[in-house]
Amino acid sequence: MGLVEFAAAKTLASSAVFLFITVLLMAAAKRTSTCIMLFGVQCAVITAQILAAAFVYHSREAYVVAAMVFVVKVLAIPYALLGIRKRLNVPGGVSASTTPAQSVYIAAGLILLAFLVVQPYVRALALDGEMLAAATAVLLTGAFLMVSRKKALMQVIGLLVLENGIFLAALTTTFGMPLVIEMGIFFDLLICVLLLGVFVFRIRDTFEHVDVSKLRRLRG
Amino acid sequence: MTFAIDFLQVLILVGTAPLLRGLVGRIKARIQNRRGASVWRPYADLRKLFSKEDLISATASPLFRLSPMILFAATVAAAAFVPTLHGFALLGTAGDFIVLVYLLALARFFLILGAMDGGSSFGGMGASREALVSTLAEAPLLLALVAVSIVAHSTSVAGIVRWSSGQPFFHLSPVHALAFVAFTLVAIAETGRVPIDNPITHLELTMIHEAMVLEYSGPSLALIEWANAIKLNLMLSLLVAVFMPWGIAPATSLHGLAIALAAYALKMVLLAVLLAVLESSVAKLRMYLVPDFLGVACALSILAVVFTALKR
Amino acid sequence: MTLWLPLLLPLFGALVMLAFKNPRTAVRVALGIGVTEAALLGNCVVKLRAAGVLQEGRYLRGDGLTSFFLINLTLVFALVLAYSVGYLRHVPKGRFSSPRWFYALVFLFLFTMLAVYLSANLGMMWIAIEATTLASALLVGFYNTQGAVEAGWKYLIVCTVGIAFALFGTIALYLAAVRGGVPAEMALDWAVLMDAAPQMSAARELLKLAFVFVAVGYGTKIGFVPMHSWLPDAHAEAPSPISALLSAALLNCALYALLRVEAITSRAIGHGFSHTLLLAFGGLSVLTAAFLMIVQRDLKRLLAYSSIEHMGIVALGVGLGGTLGLYGALLHAFNHSLAKTLLFFTTGNIREAFGTLRMDRIRGMARALPYTSAVLVAGGLAVAGMPPFGLFVSEFIILTSAFTQARYLVATLILAAISIAFGARLYHCQRMLSGEAKQLSARPKAPISEIAAMCVCGACLLVLGLCIPAAFTAVLRNAMAVLQ
Repeated sequence: MGLVEFAAAKTLASSAVFLFITVLLMAAAKRTSTCIMLFGVQCAVITAQILAAAFVYHSREAYVVAAMVFVVKVLAIPYALLGIRKRLNVPGGVSASTTPAQSVYIAAGLILLAFLVVQPYVRALALDGEMLAAATAVLLTGAFLMVSRKKALMQVIGLLVLENGIFLAALTTTFGMPLVIEMGIFFDLLICVLLLGVFVFRIRDTFEHVDVSKLRRLRG
Repeated sequence: MTFAIDFLQVLILVGTAPLLRGLVGRIKARIQNRRGASVWRPYADLRKLFSKEDLISATASPLFRLSPMILFAATVAAAAFVPTLHGFALLGTAGDFIVLVYLLALARFFLILGAMDGGSSFGGMGASREALVSTLAEAPLLLALVAVSIVAHSTSVAGIVRWSSGQPFFHLSPVHALAFVAFTLVAIAETGRVPIDNPITHLELTMIHEAMVLEYSGPSLALIEWANAIKLNLMLSLLVAVFMPWGIAPATSLHGLAIALAAYALKMVLLAVLLAVLESSVAKLRMYLVPDFLGVACALSILAVVFTALKR
Repeated sequence: MTLWLPLLLPLFGALVMLAFKNPRTAVRVALGIGVTEAALLGNCVVKLRAAGVLQEGRYLRGDGLTSFFLINLTLVFALVLAYSVGYLRHVPKGRFSSPRWFYALVFLFLFTMLAVYLSANLGMMWIAIEATTLASALLVGFYNTQGAVEAGWKYLIVCTVGIAFALFGTIALYLAAVRGGVPAEMALDWAVLMDAAPQMSAARELLKLAFVFVAVGYGTKIGFVPMHSWLPDAHAEAPSPISALLSAALLNCALYALLRVEAITSRAIGHGFSHTLLLAFGGLSVLTAAFLMIVQRDLKRLLAYSSIEHMGIVALGVGLGGTLGLYGALLHAFNHSLAKTLLFFTTGNIREAFGTLRMDRIRGMARALPYTSAVLVAGGLAVAGMPPFGLFVSEFIILTSAFTQARYLVATLILAAISIAFGARLYHCQRMLSGEAKQLSARPKAPISEIAAMCVCGACLLVLGLCIPAAFTAVLRNAMAVLQ
């Protein structure tokens, strides 16, 4: 086996493990910039996986998708988020409502839940159980981050991780959708992040803080 | 022949321990833009201490003299379980990884007793802090080793190492990845490095291990310091042997052993550099955050054990 | 070109609008573009009626259902545009609050909604629905007050999460199609999926999973109850013409998407599962909204909950199924959009006169604003389903469907919810209308455009209530044929 084939096969086999590790580290992270960089690492793992799959299955479209994921999700979005964080300059870390240890326990529980949930579908559809479980775990962790972190920017990151999970599930089950649709989805995601950034600044300017747990004026 | 190599392994672990300590200290000094002491300095320190007199407080019992000896003996015995050059250890058939962990626990227990026996308030304070850290660190350590041993179908450390070295290159399984991270976190706690404990501090607020040995002097202190260095060497060698076993000689040939020795030296130097970088870049955690740190390690090791069932 | 032109004109118009800094010129240009757009859409509907199905390229398609909803959108949009001309004089100063930004964003919003209606491909439809959320978020937060920013944030987050789930459902549907033998590039095309639906019937579990996720996802945008938390805030804090657009046009947009997917899954695995799920969502929405309407303090939030209730009734209609149920549901969606537009127009006038929309602070409206209160009462009666107005007809049809299928529980649910909602609204309106007017800012007479818009709206409702024109019924029948 050539070195590239070897690397591709090993990447495909071990990307699920890297995704689990990023999920756990993201749950334990105490600073927003750490979370953003872990998101970038997660997207880099996904890019590597798409590249490996493109090489193994000889699919030209997958190379384009990998390039798009890299440019949009590994470079553009983390760069934008880090810039927003720096300009916001709000102290206080991640403002989690659970300690890092509790978050890691919950994330571990979510990983196990993910394995449980995908069992029937893996058997019925003859898929790679580990990758699908990794996708579901990423999705659930994104939801957990959105719920347990009180900073507005952390909710954005949670949302992005959730979308990452859905994208990964699409990748595992269908080897990607038609190219135009994928490009449309990425474009949407980029605009969404930009708009959310605009709104985070608006929240800071009108409320003088970015704690979304204190956005409780409208109730009932 | 195998016995000679096993004995050589123990000698290496025990003998190069101060060198490792010196290396870490020197790299840290370089990072802090100082020249730093020579890497052979700890040997000079040990020789100096062995030639000095043992000053014992009037209120101490014979336990005060005995503890360092028991501590040293237990640590060396634990070192005899860890294979570094080939897949066998001196005491490899005498017990499994649980015995290893409890030998280390025995050593720590007597250190705590000795510290309390010295009669100073620093000793008591250090002892209580150390007891907290070690209680919390024991579970993740055992669970991480349990996870790895389930996958390797063997409970002896040497057996685990033999299994690991037989795996294809870069085979990354979730069990091993999680156990690796958990073990690293616990190793930091067990050996008393930053962010759990600073090995060169003497401030009351931040001492754990140093507080316990404040009363000791002369040969007793030499034994304790040496045992501490052996423990660091042991934990790092265990990390290398179980999770990164590339280069371990499969058969007892001179050629294979030479490669194994070179590989081991390279890996230990690499780990020393990484440890020095880690210690220089992270701040020490305050005491009430230490349970959280170890809680993360515990969660990861529990997940590693659960994964052994999921992978089947 | 019939489909491309009306789709691209609002996008072009949005960009063009930004060049006109003078408010009056901006308004005139906007009106011009709006009129052209309405003409193009009318042309589109006529062509669709003649041809049945129009497909342009791989991504644009129109059929009976499209033309029905296009008529709805055109009507609502024209009314909102007419109303906003007068309304915009009172917009407070801020970064985005000049007329050119307002109209640019409104045209962008229209572009995305048209993209939803005209898309042939489920993936494009998803992208367009996500784009409607993004386009309307800045409109919701238009006033940049604390409430508006919070509402806009919640809207963006909740709807994006919901629509991400809809993406998951769409992917599951794609997977079922590919496994059923449909070639991969065509497996998101709606017409192809409808033809290939019987082939997909083997993947039952997967299709059920797909429908659940799509129902939850697009249901978030429709406002079904467990996922409705963004709706009252967004509709209350947005400017009144935008609230009208959100309630009347956007909810129908999401409903359209859900109906398209439901048609595919029903043809593949039958009605049972999807109808049960829709009945569950509908029943939950209807009851929760009706009860929550009693405790509301803000007029626009009251109207928002009323929208949730009516969308619940539409869901119940679709869930009941059969000819009557679907017919009633579609007609109800149309009527509701007109009635809600009318009601939101009156809130604009009320806010201007009283300075607030808190119902406990508004007193003596009957004496202070006689025409507005008349319209408010008429709109309230319309939304409650009273006879001369259109909603009576559609609710009656849905109830008939429930009774003929012996689904007495559903019928009781609808009747109970309508009664509770009517009672709540009566209580609130009665408190507002009677008594002495306390604070009243001197305002000039309502501009002619606002009055004209409201009159046209009311007239349409009356017409639909008394005698539905035959052409309209034909369009409705075509729409239903598409879904069955």
